[in-house]
Amino acid sequence: MAVQTLSERRRPGPLAVFWSAPSSFRIGFVLLAVHILLAVFGPFIAPFPQQQMMVGRPIQGPDLTHWFGTDQLGRDIFSRTLHGGWIVISLSVTGTILGVAIGATIGLACGYTRGWVDEVVMRLVEAILSIPFLILALLTVSMAGPALAGSPFLVIMVVAIIYTPRIARMARAAALDVVMRDYVTAARLRGEATFSVVRRELLPNVMGVLLVEFAVRAGYAPILIGTLGFLGFGMQPPSPEWGLMISEYRNLLTVQPWAVFGPGLMLSTLVIGLNFFTEGLARILGRSPVRNSK
Amino acid sequence: MNTAVSLILQRIVYSIGTLVLVSVIIFAAVEVLPGDVTARILGREAPIEAREKLRVELGLDRPAVERYFTWARGAVQGDFGMSLSARKPVDEIVFVRLRNTLILAAYAMLLYIPLSIIPALVQAFYPNRLPDRIISTLTILILSTPEFLLSTLLLFGLAVAFPIFPPLSQVSGAANPLEFLYMITLPAVSLAILLAVSGTRLLRESMIDLLDSDFIRMAELKGMSRLRVVLRHALPNALIPWLNATAINFAFMIGGVVVVERVFVFPGFGSLLVDAMQLRDVPLIEASVLIAAFIFIAVNLVADIGAVLLNPKLRT
Repeated sequence: MAVQTLSERRRPGPLAVFWSAPSSFRIGFVLLAVHILLAVFGPFIAPFPQQQMMVGRPIQGPDLTHWFGTDQLGRDIFSRTLHGGWIVISLSVTGTILGVAIGATIGLACGYTRGWVDEVVMRLVEAILSIPFLILALLTVSMAGPALAGSPFLVIMVVAIIYTPRIARMARAAALDVVMRDYVTAARLRGEATFSVVRRELLPNVMGVLLVEFAVRAGYAPILIGTLGFLGFGMQPPSPEWGLMISEYRNLLTVQPWAVFGPGLMLSTLVIGLNFFTEGLARILGRSPVRNSK
Repeated sequence: MNTAVSLILQRIVYSIGTLVLVSVIIFAAVEVLPGDVTARILGREAPIEAREKLRVELGLDRPAVERYFTWARGAVQGDFGMSLSARKPVDEIVFVRLRNTLILAAYAMLLYIPLSIIPALVQAFYPNRLPDRIISTLTILILSTPEFLLSTLLLFGLAVAFPIFPPLSQVSGAANPLEFLYMITLPAVSLAILLAVSGTRLLRESMIDLLDSDFIRMAELKGMSRLRVVLRHALPNALIPWLNATAINFAFMIGGVVVVERVFVFPGFGSLLVDAMQLRDVPLIEASVLIAAFIFIAVNLVADIGAVLLNPKLRT
């Protein structure tokens, strides 16, 4: 290929970049964009208020006015599903950000300082990781007591608590890899303060790993939140969180299965979108996402 | 000393250490954390006398360290105290539920083996062609479906729309072992599918990688049929990482049973855990979480030992 100078090459527009991305990224991006748009505008375009009862005959199948039918209280399930989107997405994102931030801080600090603190913290992390994560989540909710039951704050905390040790282990491994590099040694020999070395040398170099890890975890958070809601340990009625809706409408399965299919379809497509997006993102960043490291 | 033996001993000691640490964490989370345990169990509005009575019953008037050692000494001997809600010894309750769940898990594992190997074999046989693509898409779809949704959909499909299996696994009414198995088929299938998808993906990846390697080319050049190459050369080599993944899957099943047992109302360890948490039955919670962690650590230990024994570099 001929040598091209930078100025001669046309800078590709955002659309060209999009089309050159892996197909999984494109599918994921579109699914995710639709979900975010629905989450933001859904409550405004929903034909009925989410809690309004008797907007139609109770328990009727889908028709032109009620796309997903109605529930036993005569609420419009399509409207409820639309209202649930922003709850699921905002809880997932907030919880994951919190978990990644705390986990990364612990992991990077341990990876950089080493010594006995690192040893103790990592043993604790290993021990916490040997409690199956769903059981740890239930334990956290149960121990928070009845006063906090059903509060979005508690759900966010649970997501963060589940993710913190996992992220910490990842971040520490990534940091150990970077700490050995010459530029970190150079920075240390220049006499830079620990905090500044971690922030200016360590953090930018583990950012890619953390970004992919964040995306993987954010992709699982809706399932975690839905499972908590389904088991009665997450959001409480009348919240239109999808897992909770599925659990509430399970006994309508024989007469009105759309009450379960509607929120189920939304939850699955959201997770599929997030997973594809992550896979594509990881491929663009040249890293393979760690799958199934539940 | 032999490398493999010393590695295995090291893993065993490490696992015991982790278990002890987990027991401290569980105990601390349940009993020592800020906030009054009795208020958490009875609610803040409960009368002072009732809370005092419960405090004495739980032994909360003694110092935490002493309580931990009493609890741990009992736990080692299988004595976890009395359940607050059932008024029966915890070990009796846990034993029955754990037995039910182990039967369910064994059944699911039995279904898991063909469910994860056969699709991967089809994929390795037709790589990047229609059958491979269909199975790949299916596995991604299932992987993106929450456990509770997948098992609810299975329940809808095979118990409501086409009533082949009973929707609820009320095994106490089972007249004989065969009826018992029939009743738990749906939860077992749900668990098996949930676990099989990750096994299938892994097996496909490693087999397709292997099919690209020189010794497989050689076998093909010798004129061996595709079927023989896949079955005799690719599969046995791909099974070692699959075995390791299977052990991890089994450990993951401990969490999965919580959801699946809930959906099918199966009286197992998972639903016991959820009930204990909902009722805030402290002795039962401590016992069941500790047992879950113990199973998880034990399965991982077995997987580690298996990996050491299967590693040709460490064989003597």
